[in-house]
Amino acid sequence: MSKSKMSNWGLGLAAAAVALTLSNSAFAFDTSADKSAPKVSGIGMNITDAAIKPWNISYFYDGTNLPDGSGTVSAGEKIYSAQCAMCHGDFGEGAHGYPKMVGDPVDQFEASAKAGVDAVSNRGLNNNWGNAPTLMDMIHRAMPFYAPGTLTTDEAYSVTCYVMNLASIPGVGDDFVCDKTSLPKIKMPAEPLYVTNSGPDTDNTRCMKDCYKGTEFVVEKAASIGDVSVGKVQKKDSQ
Amino acid sequence: MSENMINPVPEGANKAGVASSDRRKFLRKSVALAAGGAAIAATTSANAADGLKTWTTPLKNEPTRHMLGRGVVSVPYGLPSKYEAGVVRRNVGWLTADTIASISFTPWQDLHGIITPNGLHFERYHAGAVDVDPEKHRLVVHGMVKQPMIFTVDDLKRMPSHTAIHFLECPANGAMEWRGVQMDSLQFTHGMMSCSEWTGVKLTTLMEMVGVDPKSTWFYGEGTDGSALQRSIPMEGAHDQHGKPIPALYTSHYRDAMVCYAMNGEALRPENGYPIRLFVPGFEANVSTKYLRRLMFVDKPLVTYQETKHYIEVLPNGLIRQYDLVNEANSVITSPCPDFKMNGKGTYEIRGIAWSGYGKIKHVDISVDGGKNWTEATLTEPVLSKCLTKFTLPFQWDGSENLIMSRATDETGYVQPTLKQLREVRGFNSIYHKNSIQVWKIEKTGEVKNVQIENV
Ligand code: HEC
Repeated sequence: MSKSKMSNWGLGLAAAAVALTLSNSAFAFDTSADKSAPKVSGIGMNITDAAIKPWNISYFYDGTNLPDGSGTVSAGEKIYSAQCAMCHGDFGEGAHGYPKMVGDPVDQFEASAKAGVDAVSNRGLNNNWGNAPTLMDMIHRAMPFYAPGTLTTDEAYSVTCYVMNLASIPGVGDDFVCDKTSLPKIKMPAEPLYVTNSGPDTDNTRCMKDCYKGTEFVVEKAASIGDVSVGKVQKKDSQ
Repeated sequence: MSENMINPVPEGANKAGVASSDRRKFLRKSVALAAGGAAIAATTSANAADGLKTWTTPLKNEPTRHMLGRGVVSVPYGLPSKYEAGVVRRNVGWLTADTIASISFTPWQDLHGIITPNGLHFERYHAGAVDVDPEKHRLVVHGMVKQPMIFTVDDLKRMPSHTAIHFLECPANGAMEWRGVQMDSLQFTHGMMSCSEWTGVKLTTLMEMVGVDPKSTWFYGEGTDGSALQRSIPMEGAHDQHGKPIPALYTSHYRDAMVCYAMNGEALRPENGYPIRLFVPGFEANVSTKYLRRLMFVDKPLVTYQETKHYIEVLPNGLIRQYDLVNEANSVITSPCPDFKMNGKGTYEIRGIAWSGYGKIKHVDISVDGGKNWTEATLTEPVLSKCLTKFTLPFQWDGSENLIMSRATDETGYVQPTLKQLREVRGFNSIYHKNSIQVWKIEKTGEVKNVQIENV
C-alpha cells in the first residue's frame, strides 16, 4: 500500500488514482479478521493435517484425540513400581516433596476448604482432578519426570489405569481396562467441583481520608519460620 | 506450584538453619548500619571530626585514578560490576521438590526501573530450561484453519513485527503469604514477576495467514520441553467444558498476543523460551508457553493438567475455580522494603511499581499510617497498558514506626483489594492471584518488616 501511494505521490498527478488505490486497500483491510493484521505472503510452508498427526499429542478432557491402544491396572502396577513410586510414593502418598496421587477423600477436601484449614497440601487425583483423559494426557506427555514422553501408548494407558485404581476412583476396579472409550466415561470425584471464574470478585474503593477508626491488627512473621532472605547476606559474609 | 507454598511453617524450613541465617541477616544489616552511620555522623553532628575524616578519605585515595582500565571487548558480552554480585535471581529451597519443576524470583529490591534485565527475569519451569536449536525448530499452526502451515524461526523474523513493553507475572506471585506472613523479603513476596520489551509476530498475523475458522473459539500453545506444556486460551464466543460462556473480559486478550523471539532487543534467553515463545499480555504467565512448537485452533478448551491441578483456586465454598486468567491490578513499594534497613532519619523517596492485566494504571495511592490516610503518588512515564508503572512519593522519616503500603487503581476503575477483602472471597487455599495491598512496617530501629493487617 505504501509503495503505490508513494509512487503516485511522486508523479504529482492522477489524484483520482491515489484515492482509488487507498480505498481499495481500506476495503481489503475491512474484510480481514483483524484490522491490524497485515497480509503476508511467501513466508512459511503449507502442511497437511496428516503430516501434523504424529505431532498432535493432545488429548482433550472429553477424550477427543485419545490414541488407539489400551492398558490394564496390573500392567500399570509394574510400571508404577519401577518408574513412578520413587517420587509419588508406593501408595501414591508422594515422596521427597513430589505430588501425591492420593489425597484426602473429596468430601474431606471440601470440608477443609470450607473450614479454612489447609486443603491444598492434601490434593490428589481423588479430590483435584476433573477428567480421566487429562490424566492420560499428562502422564503420556510429561511423565516419568526424568524421561518425559518415553512411555508407549499402552504403558501410558496402563499406568493411568493403575494410579486411578490407587486413588480409589469409582469404577476403576482391579480388572478395569483403560482405552479411548473407557476413559471418557469415568466420573472423577472432583469433577462437579470445577467452576469457571466470572471476573473480578473484590470491590475495594479509593478512600483517601480517615478510612477506618480504631487500631489495625498487625501480624508479623511467626518466629518459628526460618529466614530465607539469605542470598545477598551469604555473599557479604563470604567476601 | 507445590502444595507447600502456602504452608506457614514448611517441613524442613528450620532444618536449613535459622540460627545461621539469622546471623547472616544480622551481619548484613550491621554492615549497612556501619556505612550509614558514618554518613549520619558527617552530616548531622557538629563535632564529628573523626566521622568527617572517614567520610573524606576516599577523595584523597581513589584507587582507579592512576591506572589503566580494561580494554574494549575484554568482556565481549558485558556484565554488571563485581560490586553488584549480590543482585541475582534466588529460589526458595523448600518450596519445590527440586529446581527442575520450580521457580526463581527477580530481585526487585535492587532494580530501579520498569524493565527487568534479561539475566534477572524470573524463571518458572515445569521440566527445566532446555537449549532448542533455532535452525531445527519449527512452529506448526493448525486445527480449525483453512490452510495449516509450518514456520521456521527465520520465517517468523521476516514477518511484520510487533514490539511492546509488558509485564509477565506468575499467578503464584505472593502465594506464600495467603495463610500468614512468611517471606521477609520483597524478592520473595513479589519476585515472580518481570517486565520486558517483547518483540515478535502478532498472533493475529498468523491467524490471518492460516485463515482461522470464525467458529474456532479457543486455541492452545504447546512447548517442546519435557513438560510439553499446553494451555487453552479463550477467544470471542468461548464456552467452558460445562457449556457456560467465558466472560467477555477474558476473550479479547489474545488479540495482543504474539509469538516472541526477542526480549529487551536481544534473542529470548533459554530460561524464557528461546528461540520462540507465546506471550499473552495481561494473562497469568503460565499461558505464555515457552519453546513454542504448536498452536492449534479449536472450539472447546482442552482442560489440561495445568488447568486442572496447578492454575486453579480452591475457594472457601469448596469449589475449584478455573480460568482465572487475568492478573488484576497490583502494586508494591520497592523502597523501603524488608531487604534493606533504613539509613537514618530524614529524606527518602517512596518508590514502587504497579501493574494491571486489564490496562493502564490510573492512580497509585500511598499510606504511611496503616491505611487510614492516603496520598496520591506521582506516576513516572511511560504509563503503558499491561505494563509496570513506576511511582514515587517524597517521604520524611522521623524515626517513628510506620505502616507503609501502596494501592493501585487501573483504568477500568478496579481498586487493588486489602488482604482482608481478598481472604473474604478466596479463603486461605487459593494459592494464585494474590494481588492484595502489601504492607511493610518500618520499625524505630530502621528494620523494615513484611506484615499483614488482618482486620481492615
Ligand atoms: C523424578 C520424580 C518423578 C518421577 C519418577 C515421576 N514423576 Fe510424576 N511428577 C513429578 C513432578 C515434579 C510432577 C509435577 C510436574 C509439574 O509441576 O508440572 C509430577 C506430576 C505428576 C502427576 C500430576 C499430579 C499432580 O498432582 O501434579 C501425575 C499424574 C504423575 N506425575 C504421574 C507419574 C507417573 C505415572 C510416573 C511414572 C511413569 C511418574 N509420575 C514419575 C515427578 C516425578
